[in-house]
Amino acid sequence: MSTQQQLDDHIIERYTAQPTRLPAELRRQIEHAWQGAPVQLYALADLDQSLRLTVAWLALGPRHIAVAQRESTGWHVRSVERSRIEAIREAPGLSANTLTILGASGEPALALLRYTHRQRRAFENIRFVLEEQIQGHERELVDGDADRLYAESVARPIRDAQALVSGRQTAVIRRLLGYLKPYRRQLTLGMAAATVITLVSLVPPYLAGHLIDRVVRPAQAGTLSLVQAAKVAWLAVAAMALVYLVRQPAVHVRLRLMSIIGEWVARDLRSELYEHIQRLSLAFFSRKRTGSLITRVSADTDRLWDFLAFGVVDVSLSLVMLAGLGTVLLTLDWRLGLVMTLPVPVFCWLIYRHSEEITRLFIRAWRKWSRVTDVLSDTIPGIRVVKAFNQEQREIERFGERNEDVTAEFNRIHASWTRFWPLLMLGVHMMTVAVWVFAVPRLLGSGAQLPVGTFVSFLLYTTMFGAPIEVIGQMARTINRATTSAHRVFEVLDTEPEIRDVAEPVRLEPVHGRVTFEHVTFGYDGVRQVLRGVSFDVTPGELIGLVGPSGGGKTTIVNLIARFYDVSGGTIRIDGVDLRRLDTGHYRRQIGMVLQDPYLFHGTVLENIRYGSQEAPLNQVVAAAQAANAHDFITKLQHGYDTVVGERGHTLSGGERQRVSIARAILHDPRILILDEATSSVDTETEREIQQALERLVAGRTVFAIAHRLSTLRKASRLFVIEDGRLIEHGTHAELLAKPEGQYRHLYELQLQLQ
Amino acid sequence: MTLTLGKSATATRGGALSLEWRADGSLWAMWGEEERAVSVRRCFPWTEPARHLSLRDTDEEEFAFVRDPADLDQRSRAALERALAVAGFVFEVTQVLEIEEEVEIRRWRVETQQGPRTFQTRLDDWPRTLPHGGLLIRDLAGDLYHLVAPERLDRESRELLWAFVD
Ligand SMILES: Nc1ncnc2c1ncn2[C@@H]1O[C@H](COP(=O)(O)OP(=O)(O)O)[C@@H](O)[C@H]1O
Ligand SMILES: [Mg+2]
Repeated sequence: MSTQQQLDDHIIERYTAQPTRLPAELRRQIEHAWQGAPVQLYALADLDQSLRLTVAWLALGPRHIAVAQRESTGWHVRSVERSRIEAIREAPGLSANTLTILGASGEPALALLRYTHRQRRAFENIRFVLEEQIQGHERELVDGDADRLYAESVARPIRDAQALVSGRQTAVIRRLLGYLKPYRRQLTLGMAAATVITLVSLVPPYLAGHLIDRVVRPAQAGTLSLVQAAKVAWLAVAAMALVYLVRQPAVHVRLRLMSIIGEWVARDLRSELYEHIQRLSLAFFSRKRTGSLITRVSADTDRLWDFLAFGVVDVSLSLVMLAGLGTVLLTLDWRLGLVMTLPVPVFCWLIYRHSEEITRLFIRAWRKWSRVTDVLSDTIPGIRVVKAFNQEQREIERFGERNEDVTAEFNRIHASWTRFWPLLMLGVHMMTVAVWVFAVPRLLGSGAQLPVGTFVSFLLYTTMFGAPIEVIGQMARTINRATTSAHRVFEVLDTEPEIRDVAEPVRLEPVHGRVTFEHVTFGYDGVRQVLRGVSFDVTPGELIGLVGPSGGGKTTIVNLIARFYDVSGGTIRIDGVDLRRLDTGHYRRQIGMVLQDPYLFHGTVLENIRYGSQEAPLNQVVAAAQAANAHDFITKLQHGYDTVVGERGHTLSGGERQRVSIARAILHDPRILILDEATSSVDTETEREIQQALERLVAGRTVFAIAHRLSTLRKASRLFVIEDGRLIEHGTHAELLAKPEGQYRHLYELQLQLQ
Repeated sequence: MTLTLGKSATATRGGALSLEWRADGSLWAMWGEEERAVSVRRCFPWTEPARHLSLRDTDEEEFAFVRDPADLDQRSRAALERALAVAGFVFEVTQVLEIEEEVEIRRWRVETQQGPRTFQTRLDDWPRTLPHGGLLIRDLAGDLYHLVAPERLDRESRELLWAFVD
């Protein structure tokens, strides 16, 4: 079983409370009813006819479907032959979907199932196969894929939101600490310094007590000579000085080393992450939000720095400190020691409780805060609409209201902690009072004897409890925050790129540009096929126009040629070699793409044109820009080719950006060129200029051009009409127009009417 | 200027619209010469659930528009009611048992009129407050959970929900 499927099973178990499989005994029963034919797909119908939650199954085999319902004695299975199915209907609702499988018209439905959106993907898979059958296209299904497809379809939304299922926090922490390994020496040194600080700070109060009991009082009572006393006293002073002389350098070493190590680890994580992200396939990027990936590299690694540099040390040393304090106090005087140590766990617990409460307050404040930022991100980009409808006053009021709201929440948080901490400190002070209460009678001579010095040491030690108690109380939160960040980082690191090269990849030097599709099928997810068996053979130097209604699969075809995804069935060959056997990097260097919405990076025009070919000499850059009809407008810019463009720089118009990206493709000199609606978003005049540029560009290479305006493609050697994932017509412009009932002719006439 | 709606159940195409359930398990709409299997879509599921209903055929095209079911005959109205129950179905939460935060997602365990259920939302997806009060939560898969009156739930549920209601 693949790890992917294990993860999906785990997600289903943990999050959905539904079976991870079709029950084995039911599967046997169904397959028995089908004379041993296998279950190829199945889905869980989790609503009954009166819309209560239930467990029923729909299974699909090579020749049958079966509906299984639970009865008191076991499963009731009803099988229907697939050949009887003539129509299929899905009615989507807010949360209840209905799938109706119909036989001959007028007859009762063969099956009617209701299910929530959680099950919808699994039903989609079955519906797709049945619809293909109704249309007369048989879909071959791989036996033994049923469990995987079912698990994937149910777990997918959760896996996309959070790929790594959180579980063992300790494992994550251990993995994180593993990043400290290369810096073991510095770490040991830093920890040693920190331990020194902790232990040394226990010395001064002890010295003070010792001085009073062993020196000051004997000297006052006359049992110790003044000379002797002075000698010991000065020694104590010297020891005190020594303590601080040792402590401060140790503080320096600790702060410095730990913050540096933290930075190093964060750096390592950041580059590992970025490198990994660059390698991941496009499929990953369509699942994750860009913002979330950016915060993982920036904010999350920063938070991990904080945890490694300070969190780890603070927490472990606070534990050492509390243990040290406890031991010292209990050995000095166990009765007073108990008075001091027993309440400590209670304080830690109170702080923990308080931070939980604050978290709850924060969720609410966060929600209200997002309502404030919503208004901002709505109205600032939409300010023209606000003004056009004269809604400024209303927007001001809307913002004001929400602003008030969120302030109230923040003040609630402030009220909570400002109430808590003084109360807690009162508790700590009461501990001191308790020490007094127990100590005073003993100082005055009743009960066990208590030397004054010991009492003074105690009072000094009391002041040292505050800080470690606070750290321990916050420990849960610190660790939680760090593991959350670590999870998010590791999730990316654990994602495998879906496109991987074979062991000994083939390098085509150069690519000639023959592109062959052999029965290519492809789906982005599940069973639904976006390409349903596409075959063609394109010879080097051809200009192929891809046309057809949107959603037909044109972009998908070029994505496959660029190997952004691998085919689900069939083969793509480049110069006769299976695309999957090629060295992807080497191959991609020989393809160029110009997309509808060209992307310019932040940088100069020159850098953008040179993006794929950094070494190109300047005269070639100019030549490429000239060929792309871009040279003219570039030289008009104040800084010429050195003008900074992109998000924060000089903004170019759509047509200008398009021509820069064409220049980029020309300079790159690809063997296979892909133009995906490269001229769709510009005006006619610009289109004409781009058109000329493209005509220069296509010479001597294989070109796939997708265009909405069919007139753009009149020069194509052949046109492929793609509809609903199939190649339905192909031929030259003239040939296709000659077909009286042709789809191309239909599209062409429609466009003529519009002009 | 007042705008008037083009189509309404009794306006164009002559004859009245009538609806019925057939053996094939679908709602059928008959209007003049034509009849089609349709599904119902509420235009204002939360603002005005009972009126402004779009009847859509299997190609997702509007076959008829019912501004007010009261315009229909008794039998059609009953058929429509039945279709609305399915189309408008959402989970009705009666008790909140647990709300836990995990990495990136929030995990909910609730009791609903339809049975116990666990679901997940993104951390930054907040429940939506509905026009007539009440709360609507959408989970990662797209299922909806409705809390008619959060303030009338038991004390523990209210405690758990506190951060999510105004
Ligand atoms: N990244 C994707 N994930 C899932 N489905 C996709 C993705 N990209 C496209 N599709 C689906 O694939 C089908 C074909 O899309 P596409 O190839 O972009 O069509 P075209 O370029 O012809 O307009 C559409 O139904 C679309 O919804
Ligand atoms: Mg496209």
